[in-house]
This record gives sequence, structure tokens and C-alpha cells, in this order.
Amino acid sequence: MGKISALTYGRDMHILLIEDDVRAARYLAKGLTQCGHVVDLAADGDSGLELALNRRYEVIIADRLLPKRDGLAIVRMLRADGNSTPVLVLSALGEVDDRVAGLRAGGDDYLVKPYAFAELLARVDTLNRRQPLAAGESLEVGDLILDLQRQTVRRAGHPIRLQPREFRLLECLMRHAGRVVTRTMLLEQVWDFHFDPQSNVIDVQISRLRGKIDKDFDTSLLHTVRGAGYRLGAPA
Amino acid sequence: MRLRRLLRTTAVRLALRYALIYAAVFAVALAMLEWRERSRVDPAVGNALARRLEALREAQKTGGQDALARRLQEIEKEADAIDRINLLLAPDDRRLAGTLSAWPTAESIPLDGIARPRLIEEELVPHELSDDDVFGPVVAWKFSDGTRVLLAHRDQSAEQLLEFIEYLRDVLGVALLLALVMSLSYSNNILRRMDQIGRTAAEIANGDLAMRVAGSGHDDEFDILAARLNTMLDRIQQLVRGMREVTDSVTHDLRSPLARLRSRLEVVLLEPRDGEEYREAIGHSVEDLEQLIRTFNALLGIAQAEAGTARQGWQRFDLDALVNDVFELFEPLAEQKGQAFEYHRAGPQWFHGSRELIAQAIGNLMDNAIKYTPPSGQILIRMQALGNRLEVAVIDSGPGIAPTDHARVFERFVRLDHSRNTAGNGLGLSLVQVVARLHGADLALRAASPGLIVTLGFPRAPDR
Repeated sequence: MGKISALTYGRDMHILLIEDDVRAARYLAKGLTQCGHVVDLAADGDSGLELALNRRYEVIIADRLLPKRDGLAIVRMLRADGNSTPVLVLSALGEVDDRVAGLRAGGDDYLVKPYAFAELLARVDTLNRRQPLAAGESLEVGDLILDLQRQTVRRAGHPIRLQPREFRLLECLMRHAGRVVTRTMLLEQVWDFHFDPQSNVIDVQISRLRGKIDKDFDTSLLHTVRGAGYRLGAPA
Repeated sequence: MRLRRLLRTTAVRLALRYALIYAAVFAVALAMLEWRERSRVDPAVGNALARRLEALREAQKTGGQDALARRLQEIEKEADAIDRINLLLAPDDRRLAGTLSAWPTAESIPLDGIARPRLIEEELVPHELSDDDVFGPVVAWKFSDGTRVLLAHRDQSAEQLLEFIEYLRDVLGVALLLALVMSLSYSNNILRRMDQIGRTAAEIANGDLAMRVAGSGHDDEFDILAARLNTMLDRIQQLVRGMREVTDSVTHDLRSPLARLRSRLEVVLLEPRDGEEYREAIGHSVEDLEQLIRTFNALLGIAQAEAGTARQGWQRFDLDALVNDVFELFEPLAEQKGQAFEYHRAGPQWFHGSRELIAQAIGNLMDNAIKYTPPSGQILIRMQALGNRLEVAVIDSGPGIAPTDHARVFERFVRLDHSRNTAGNGLGLSLVQVVARLHGADLALRAASPGLIVTLGFPRAPDR
């Protein structure tokens, strides 16, 4: 626990953080800076929107409830202005409807407070468009190849048999190759579930997947990032 | 006081208003009818009276008072009963001839020889002619010597009509009185029922949420209103109870771990330590916090489901596919324990509800089954469409729960009591209970041999 290596995540992103809770904002900015990012802070909706419209950012993190102009209004204004900078909405409102409203307003991701810092880092990293997520008909990480067209997986030429759900789990990890994917991100993207199963189901899923793609090979591709989640790729 | 309230009620005001409007219209119609009857003289009758008066004038001119009296008696003899009402008075008001005993005073009769409908009071009329007031055209004349004569033609149909109008007026009065009495009694009834509801509302406002509005059993609009109010009160009571439970749970489940976390951090701060020690203490604290947040989220989730606020997020989905998603999520967990884990599907089963909450509830049931079933045991999940019920059963071969304890287990679900030190255990089942209630589903425990069968029976009302 607690060993979040800055190396695990992308660096050098220019991030705008709009958060009215000054102490929370300071901690968050400090954490992001230590991970190699450059952070601009705005304490209310109006100044946040002004910064967002006038400077270029890789990612904007906006609190949902803000003085003067709330987070969703900022997202709507940006989108109306043709600005497509990815926005991560932070909120103390955690119901399904709230999340849907957040995404519908044009937010790219939605994180409910209190969140783990590692979770935030992983999601911000995913939103960075400078290094787009892997796309295409087949995904490759090292000698592991996933063919979306034929729904097959091979490692070093050997076919690997996966159940449909394992296939989707691996696909999600491969699209985020090299980045940390948290348990909640996997639950959201592979199962479309937004609750905490209060059980280590994802860990067990991963260990079964690992048994199929890593067990018989010399180098491991699927790594556990302590306190954060999982990362598929060459050893860091 | 009561009467004043009664008179202010809508029912009384409406009843009186309409009664008065109808009465007024009716009274005007009657008055017009009466006026017409009291002012109209049949020209033939008028002419006959004028002719008779002319004959009397002739007689007076030639023979004075005596001839006049004689002439009147002659006319009287020839006439029908209806034309025999007349009178001849000397200037000193002495009766000279005629059937009337005195000059009528009910209505003034001008002495100008013009026929007008007039009423003659019954006291003046001889019994053999009429027992009642007489009505009809009347002419009167005053001769030069002061002698006065009165000739009348009795109009029996007009008399009847006037009598009838009089009768209708009485009826109208009685009807008005009746309307007042009835509306008062009806309003009294309404007021009584309203007061009953009002008293209940006041008692509820004073904090007794268990109070309910009593119905009268007549199935009338007040009973419908009472039933609606009671349904609302049930819901409010349920919400309040849910909130109370959450407050209790928060106190219970968050206080102790918070105290633990606090003392850990305080003890670390007591004296200077090396970096590794701090690191370890902070690491453990973060783990504690994580557990705290999980419990907090679970409690909040239950509270939100309990409050039914998530209902806006309801959607139509395939319950069978959803159970399969959850099944695939938990399958490796059972596999790891060497359990046989199966799902018997039922094909697409469309259902309207909260996909997230139902997934969570079914996940909790699967999690429990996996937790309590020994390695190499069997767990079967089965979906069945039974008429208008969709039943999801989780059947395990674990130790089960003694049938005598089934009720207690349910009580524990509801009570959210402190038997859940590990998050996801008692809390998980509490959530199942709440989600079932939210969706109108029944949750039942049965003993299998060996093991436990938990069934969630969803009512299939897709577009509720």
C-alpha cells in the first residue's frame, strides 16, 4: 500500500483543477505535481471557465458543485464553444442519475468523492489524448495479440482460449496498455456496474486471466500496481 | 360557532346560492302570472257589467233610490250565481239591496264604472254563494245623490289559479327551508369527516407518525382520500424509519473504526519515529479509511434504495442477461474455492427496475453463497418465469440456516443490527432486503437438503 510510483503513470500533462474546497484542491494539486504534471487551480466556476477557454489543457478536473457556475455548466459551455478538452467531473453526488447527468452534459468521466488518489491518477491518465488509447482491429502488447475481428488471442504464436468475459477484460486492459486500470474502471467498462461489489471479485478475475496469458511464459505482462489496480505491458 | 363554520362551508354556500337563484326566478314567474290575472278583464264580462250598470243608472234617473233597489233585485233574480254578488248602499252606508253585507275593503274599488278584477273578502259574501274569498271583475258607481252600487262577476278559474299561486309560494318557502336544513346537515357530515382527518394530521404533526385516518366504510370520496393519505403516511413512515436506521447504523458502524483510526494516528504522533514507522502507520490508516468508506457507501446505498430516490434511474432491461453478468463476475471466486457454480438461464426476461441495485443484490446473494458453502460444494442459480413472477433462486449446499432462525435472519436484515463487523455480510443482506422491497419483490429463505435456498420473486409489471 502507498507505493504509487510516479513512473507508473503518464507525466507532463497540463491539468486545470477547478475545486472550491481549497484544502482538497491544494492536496490534489500537490499530488498531481509530484507525479510530474503541471496544475492550474481555479476556486470557482467563472474563473475556471475563463482559464479553460483561454489556455490549452490535456485534462480538466472539475468539481460538480461550485460557486458561481457549477461543473456541469462549465462542461456544457466548453462543448458549446467547440472545446473538446477531456473533463473529469468530481462529485459528492453518487447516484446513478447524477453520474448519467454528468456524462450527458459532456463530461468524459465521473468520479464520486471520496475517491482514492490512485483512482484519480489512473482516470486522468486515461483521459490524456496526447497518448490515445489503443484502437484498431487487433491489439498488441509485446508478443500478446488480441484479434477483435476473429475474437482470438495468441501469445508468442500460441492460441489462448478465453471465455467471452475474459476476452473483454483483456481487451480493456490492452486498450489501456502501459497504464494503470483500477478495479472500478474494469467493473465499469467490462460489466457496466457502478457499485462496489464488497468482494475481491476483480482480483480473482485477474488472477484467472493471468493464469491463462502469463503462466506458461517467461515474462509477465499483467502486473498488479499496489494500491491502485492493474497494468498490462512490459515490466516497468 | 359551529353554525358559523357550517354556513361558511362550500356545500352550504353552494346549496343556498342555487336555492336562492331558483327561488327568485320562480317567485318572479309567479308574480308575473298573478299580476296578469289580477289586471286582466274579459271584455265580454266587462261589457255585461257595464250594461247592467247602465240599466241601474236608467232606473235611478227615472225612479230614484227605490227604483234602483228594485231594479237591482230584478237583475239579481235573472242572474246566475256567479253574477249575484252585488251591493247597493245609501249615502249613510245603509244597505238598500244586494247580497253583500257591507262594502268590500280588501282592495280599493274606484267608483268610476270601469270593470277591474278585485278581491271581495269571504265575510261579506253569503254562504250560499261562496265559502271563500271571491275574485273577479268588479264595477262600482256613485250616483249623484251619494248612493253607491257594486256589481261583481265571480271568475272561478282565476280564483283557482290565484289559490294555486298562493300554494306554490308556500311550497317555495318550504323548499328553501328544506334546502337550508339539508345543506347544513350535509355540511355537518363533511365537516365531521374533515375534522377527523384534521385531527389525525395534527397528531401526526405532533410526532405520532403511526396515526392513520379512519375510513367510514362507505367507500365514498372521503374514504378514497383517507386511503391515499394513509398510503402516503406509510411511505413517509417508511422513509423516516429508513433514515433513523441509517443514523443508527452510521453511529454503530462508523464510530468504532473512526475511533481506531484516530487512536492509531495519535499514538504514532506521541513520540518521534523513523520514516518507515510513519509510512507503515499511514499505510494502515489508509486501509482503515478505505474500509470505512466502503461501509459508508454501502450504508448510503441502502439508505438511497430505501428512500426510493433511485427510482428515476429505473430502466427496462433483460433480467436474465443481468443475472448472467453478475454470475460471470463471481464465477472465478467460486472456481477458486473449487465449488460447482452454475446458472440455469431462462432466456430474455424483460423487467423494469434499477439495474444497478438488482445486480448488487444478486451479487450479494452469490457472494454469501460462495462464502458459506464449503469447498467442493455446489451453488446453483436459477431463473424461472412463473406466470407473472420472475424468480431468481440461489441454492447452495452449505450449512444452511435452521428453519427456526429464518425469521430471525429476516429481522436482522431489517434491523441492520451490529452483527456485521465485516462489511458486505449483514449489510449485503440488508441491501438485498431493501432492493426487494423497492421493487415489490418477495424475499424468501427455505431449507434445502442440505443448504439454503434464497428466492427473490419479482412481480412482472414491466411498465409500472
